[in-house]
Amino acid sequence: MNKVGAVLVVGAGIGGSQVSLDLAESGYKVYLVEKSTSIGGVMAQLDKTFPTNDCAMCIISPKLVETGRHHNIDLIINADIREVSGDAGNFTIKLTKRALHVNQEKCTGCGVCGQECPIEAIDTFNEGLSMCKATSVKYPQAVPLVYSINLEKCIGCGICYGVCKAKAVEYDQTDREIEINIGAVILAPGFDEFEPDSIKEYGYSKYRNVVTSIEFERILSASGPFAGKVLRLSDGDIPRKIAFLQCIGSRDMKRGQPYCSSVCCMYTAKEAVIAKEHFDVINPTIFCMDVRAYGKDFDKYIERAKDEYGVRYIKNRIASILEIPETKDLKISYETEDGKIVEEIFNMLVLSVGLNPPKDAKKIADVFNINLNEYNFCETSSFNPIQTSRPGIFVCGAFQGPKDIPETVTQASAAAGAVNVLLSEGKNTLITKKDLPEEIDVRGQPPRIGVFICHCGINIGGYVDVPAVTEYASSLPNVVMADRNLYTCSADTQTIIKEKIKEYNLNRVIVASCTPRTHEPLFQETIREAGLNRYLFQMTNIRDQCSWVHMHEPENATEKAKDLVRMSVNKARRIFPLERMTLDVIKKVLVIGGGITGMVAALDFAKQGYETYLIEKKNELGGISREIYSTLEGGNVQEYLDDLITKVKSQKNLNLYTSTHIEAIDGYVGNFHTTIKHGEIKIPVEFDHGVVIVATGANEYLPTEYQYGKDPRIIRQSELEEKIYKSPNELHNIKSIVMIQCVGSRNEEHPYCSKMCCAEAIKNALKIKELNPEINITILFRDIRTYGFKEKYYQKARQVGVLFIQFNENQEPELKIENGNLNIIVKKPDVGDISIKADLLALSVGIVSSRDEKEELAMQLKVPLNDDNFFLEAHVKLRPVDFATEGVFVAGLAHAPKPIEDCISQAKATVSRACTILSKDKIEAEGKIARIDPTRCTGCGLCVLNCAYNAIELQEDRRFGTIAVINEALCKGCGACSGNCRCSAIDILGFTGEQIFAMIMGRE
Amino acid sequence: MTDKSKEKSTEEWKPKIIAFLCNWCSYAGADLAGVSRIQYPPNIRVVRVPCTGRINPFFIIKSLAYGWDGILVSGCHPGDCHYISGNYIARRRFAILRDLMTFLGIEPERLNFTWVSAAEGERFAKIVRKTVENVKSVGPNKIFNKKW
Amino acid sequence: MNFEPKILGFLCNWCSYAGGDLAGVSRIQYPPNIRVIRVMCSGRVDPKFILSGLQVGIDGIIVMGCHHGDCHYLEGNYEAEVKFKMVKLLLSLVDLQDRIHLEWVSASEGVRFGEVVTSFTESIKKLGPSPLSGENFDQQLLEKLKAIELAAGGERLRALVASKRIIMEEGNIYGEKISQEELDEILISAIEDEFLRQQILLKLKNEPLSVKDLSQLLNIDSSVILKHIISLKARNLIDYIKIEGITPFYQKL
Repeated sequence: MNKVGAVLVVGAGIGGSQVSLDLAESGYKVYLVEKSTSIGGVMAQLDKTFPTNDCAMCIISPKLVETGRHHNIDLIINADIREVSGDAGNFTIKLTKRALHVNQEKCTGCGVCGQECPIEAIDTFNEGLSMCKATSVKYPQAVPLVYSINLEKCIGCGICYGVCKAKAVEYDQTDREIEINIGAVILAPGFDEFEPDSIKEYGYSKYRNVVTSIEFERILSASGPFAGKVLRLSDGDIPRKIAFLQCIGSRDMKRGQPYCSSVCCMYTAKEAVIAKEHFDVINPTIFCMDVRAYGKDFDKYIERAKDEYGVRYIKNRIASILEIPETKDLKISYETEDGKIVEEIFNMLVLSVGLNPPKDAKKIADVFNINLNEYNFCETSSFNPIQTSRPGIFVCGAFQGPKDIPETVTQASAAAGAVNVLLSEGKNTLITKKDLPEEIDVRGQPPRIGVFICHCGINIGGYVDVPAVTEYASSLPNVVMADRNLYTCSADTQTIIKEKIKEYNLNRVIVASCTPRTHEPLFQETIREAGLNRYLFQMTNIRDQCSWVHMHEPENATEKAKDLVRMSVNKARRIFPLERMTLDVIKKVLVIGGGITGMVAALDFAKQGYETYLIEKKNELGGISREIYSTLEGGNVQEYLDDLITKVKSQKNLNLYTSTHIEAIDGYVGNFHTTIKHGEIKIPVEFDHGVVIVATGANEYLPTEYQYGKDPRIIRQSELEEKIYKSPNELHNIKSIVMIQCVGSRNEEHPYCSKMCCAEAIKNALKIKELNPEINITILFRDIRTYGFKEKYYQKARQVGVLFIQFNENQEPELKIENGNLNIIVKKPDVGDISIKADLLALSVGIVSSRDEKEELAMQLKVPLNDDNFFLEAHVKLRPVDFATEGVFVAGLAHAPKPIEDCISQAKATVSRACTILSKDKIEAEGKIARIDPTRCTGCGLCVLNCAYNAIELQEDRRFGTIAVINEALCKGCGACSGNCRCSAIDILGFTGEQIFAMIMGRE
Repeated sequence: MTDKSKEKSTEEWKPKIIAFLCNWCSYAGADLAGVSRIQYPPNIRVVRVPCTGRINPFFIIKSLAYGWDGILVSGCHPGDCHYISGNYIARRRFAILRDLMTFLGIEPERLNFTWVSAAEGERFAKIVRKTVENVKSVGPNKIFNKKW
Repeated sequence: MNFEPKILGFLCNWCSYAGGDLAGVSRIQYPPNIRVIRVMCSGRVDPKFILSGLQVGIDGIIVMGCHHGDCHYLEGNYEAEVKFKMVKLLLSLVDLQDRIHLEWVSASEGVRFGEVVTSFTESIKKLGPSPLSGENFDQQLLEKLKAIELAAGGERLRALVASKRIIMEEGNIYGEKISQEELDEILISAIEDEFLRQQILLKLKNEPLSVKDLSQLLNIDSSVILKHIISLKARNLIDYIKIEGITPFYQKL
């Protein structure tokens, strides 16, 4: 059966966008279907993101623009899937695109219709905190920037039709049925927030100053309704004291959902920190049960929140909330750690609401015929977290279970990786490539500049004297024509621009209109279609940064527009064609590390026919998972591992080397060359490859605490697991087992959480209880971090009688051996010291990574390690498995401690990320990159230090001695090297010194 | 004095300020100010650069030499840089440059370095207002007294 | 001394003005309080005319036009009715709604003209002098009326009023008719919003104020004020000017 090289992606949040970009770049046609009117999902609503406090909009917006413009992504907004038929590799999908009543092709997003509309509606993007119009766009940076009419509110007055100069309003538009043929489906519909109305005690929607965390996110946002001022809703004052209540609708069997929503602890800490950053008078208090900061660098963030921002944590659920009628403050009563009930007054209350399955989860399950789990999230297995119950249909993001952005992005790429394996024979069959004319050689020609000035309906023309600017432009040197258009971006104007290029023999084109951030690629495409090099284009921003911001001073705005046009002309006279260097790609893969992560990745590459080299330091495969017998959810790890090893050993295209040491890795993306020595007699092997996957794993911590190693009754959790599965008889005579969590974790030496130890302890406890319910098990913990659906097992453990006792960070349990008995003493402020006698003491130790082991590889690949000696990815949020160095990827424990299912996700994610390179015969490098003048370079090496992408190297040159050399494949053109060069030897193409000086010097 | 300059001196002086904005955060922030129609003084002329790391100290010196009355450099917030660390490099560079310029007798009010994120349209407008005020407080740039 | 109200009449040229003339020719007697402004059609009467009349202390305003179907300009009087209704709604917010009146008087109804003017004059006499005239001049009310005038002249209310009749009678651009009740509901909520927003703007013109200040001055719940502050801020009509302690202050731009 033929496999169709097209994919349907359902939901265009950050997950859906990532899948689409990955697949479109890997040679698949993508239909991205979104039910709302623009892409971006919940992430676009967020102010900042943890744990880096990155501005969410800054990092998501370029990604959305890229998704919206990609020629192999067919973005279908405002649409619902109706019917799915067929099987993996060949599905037929019927969907309905609901009418927007605005022509998507014609709408320029200028917004005049919204301004003139007399009907106000609740702005759902701002969570109802502000109003928008019946004709509106979801948010100002929305992609696609298309207005639509809210039919529920519209009274049909017809004003928008009249004011739209682009004639984009079409009242008679009807819903449209679309049928598409695809090979695979990826579901990324995200989640819905828990609605706290149902729990009356919290006073939500009854008390004005009680808001949800997502509302608070909009309150914090600089582009939100309060412009980043933290104000309470009753009277617009800044709240001095804000209380955050966690686990609203989560871990709440009776009133909400029993599972943990995974992200609330962190986003709450972030919201508290950001609020404090906005106004120092704000004192945030967080009420929580456990602090579940289990991700990479999360614990450090919590510590900073406490120490630097003074965020107060109270580990208790509150007893009651009452509004004080006069002040609208909120009186909260709660139990303190030493057991007293106290009352405290807060000015504002934020409910950290949990993540629910999407409201239409059942409908999605019906349409796609997939199973949901007991909580109505998508059902998957622990060894394949992206596979739904129906072959050919994959899932990613919060629909699979509550998760944060990096995990969503990872899963998105993982799902794309799975599609790559499934549809590899259909790859590159349905993507389109444009036939472009030969580029006109403009070398040696004097500049002949054409300037197109846009009225943008009335958006520019209403404030800037466009005819005067046009006349002025035509008077400037080398300008051979200047014209003005109602909408320069409209399809018919593109034809006009092409005609003018021919008519006037233009070799430089300037468009003075809106912002290059959204429109430059469009015009570049136009001039390229007319035979001009893309880089012979300049854009002047006279709308977003001129007419719109100087509406009351038309003369000054006109003067500014003239200046800006002149500056652009000055630059345009000095621009020249740039070439995007193309590089051949060696379609082979190096995977470093033969644990589960490495094997999963290697298999998925080899299955697609890519020659794969899997190398392992030790003499056997399996890594750390050799010591794991079961997952918390009951998956049989050893069986899975054996199966994997068998597959790896028999897989075609997969070359396995054990007992291997890497001698050298040279080269760059697409063209690496590696030398290894393997086996006992160290046989040297050399090979070329295009990408590298780092899956080198990490180790279990060997404790020095609690007299470990001195007494056979004191063992690690993994040793206990071995006993359970290998010699359960040893447990017969045991009456009491004590487990201590966080041994060697979350301390000064290892200031991070290992994510899996809580699950380990509970898994072992449950298994022991199953073997012998008479054994008393006590787990001593700081926070129980059974995030997501793992919470179920925590509840189960408590039900079967496992005793959980919390201890304080500063008061770790003590071990006393008296008369040969193990006594563990826990200090509790409310009840005093507790002493527990144990026959067996199990230490839950974390995962550690040693610098000695990692440093050599880090140097060879020129990739960074973080303070904890784990590899540091390119971007914590949006590029979780990429390195800044292109063509090198990271997965598994090498990246951070995590359970097996996350490792598998990351492994598959690296497959997809790598396929964006491997699927191409040649890759194009950025045209606007750094260039070094060897006659000026002194070889001081400063630029090498400044380059974040390792794109510069010092090399010996026959004529000039030691000089810096740019690797064009790696350079991103940021210019950090250029600005610091002591001898002006480095210039940035597209932003050369000469060009910028020309702009500076053309002052008037 | 020519007639033209006489005429000029009688009108209210409008400082001209050159603004170097990084493409990913500050330029986007300036766009957002536009989309939200937040009004600010029309004295700035924007030069878009990929990253504040791209800005050569000479750009600033030349701008002053060529008679721009003030400079505004705005990049991403620390940690937000699209190019990982460009803004840190720029920050160090400008700290030194500012000291040097002040040492040379150039009023620090002419040199405005800041950061604006893509979500801070409001902040961008505020910064422009503040910059214009700063530059106005020290008057026209006569440092090099060059004729144009 | 007896109260002699000042009454302003807007009379359409073709029916009511002629009716007034006929009353004269027929020597029909009516109180001398009315001062007449001739307009070509009652549809010409801009809500702002009525509102500025009240602001200068006129005690009552009557608008007279042709009977339905008689309009010289076909439908001007229907439009007049919609506009008048909005003004009435706006004035009911400050309890001045009874000082204005709309009546249809044809060219042949000289007697009726006299009766209409007499009864309106009587009703205004009963109401007593306008709070915007004489000794008990109500400055606060004047400010509210100004806000009403600005609201009535604003784009939003004009758009609603201008399209109301056609949507009700002939159907909107989707070809659907919307009931009067539904449209009235939309109009009333728009009127309340715009009135309050204009009041806020007028207050913020003079001095920076906080949400709580505005709440006290306008006697409206502070959370409602905050909602409108957000809307005005989004339209760049006002901005934060300073923060004192924990309280932000706003000013008109």
